[in-house]
Amino acid sequence: MLNLMLQLQLLLAALSAFLPLVPPEHLTRAAEIIDVAAKALAAGGSIGANLDDLAAKLSAVRAEVEAMAVAGRAVTSEELDAAMVRVRSASAAFRVALETAEAAGQ
Amino acid sequence: MKHPLRTLALACALAFTPACASLQLGGTQIENPVAAARTLDQRAYALLHAYAAVIEEATDIVRDPAAPLAFKRALGQVERVATPAAETLQIAVTAYVGARADFEAATDASQPALERAASALTIAARRLGDAIDAARAPVSELEDLVRARRG
Repeated sequence: MLNLMLQLQLLLAALSAFLPLVPPEHLTRAAEIIDVAAKALAAGGSIGANLDDLAAKLSAVRAEVEAMAVAGRAVTSEELDAAMVRVRSASAAFRVALETAEAAGQ
Repeated sequence: MKHPLRTLALACALAFTPACASLQLGGTQIENPVAAARTLDQRAYALLHAYAAVIEEATDIVRDPAAPLAFKRALGQVERVATPAAETLQIAVTAYVGARADFEAATDASQPALERAASALTIAARRLGDAIDAARAPVSELEDLVRARRG
């Protein structure tokens, strides 16, 4: 996903380089179109990065669990405690963020 | 050439099309850590960490001013169900780990003590299985919401 976004951004940059060749009467419109496309790509890239972030986290958890399964290793109490600390911390941050959003009305 | 710029743009687009087509759009795969687990405690551990990862992502959505407030509230409703389920899961898996340790320690003990430990381990395993099943639904629901927003 990110590679695709990067390629499209490069394409857009290349097209922008040809802006001086556009007839003056169409120059403003062409620049606006490229600007809108660039903003759309930036937003898409941000979404892609976040999705990749979740996928990377889940992939890391899966790799750890796979290693445990292959080794036939049991989960320790300390590992369970650490997992729950992460859950509680994430939950607390989520609730604070939601309260903030509610207060701001957005 | 009447429209050299348009021709050039079209040429560039055509030149880049094969490169774009060779990429797997939407090819980002969402891993399922629970599927990799082989034992009950590993499943519980995977589910807790997966839930933490999903809720961290949900927090980013809630912090995004562009995300609709109604959607944020929907995330909040699911979180209020999922987090207590995760708490119950943690209690169940801790009890299971303790019962398993007691059972392993009782292997050299008398037959009645071993039977008691085995019985306690069976009960703990059943409760842990129920807790995993109960937690999976709200965690999956939250993950689906996050993916719907992000994907």
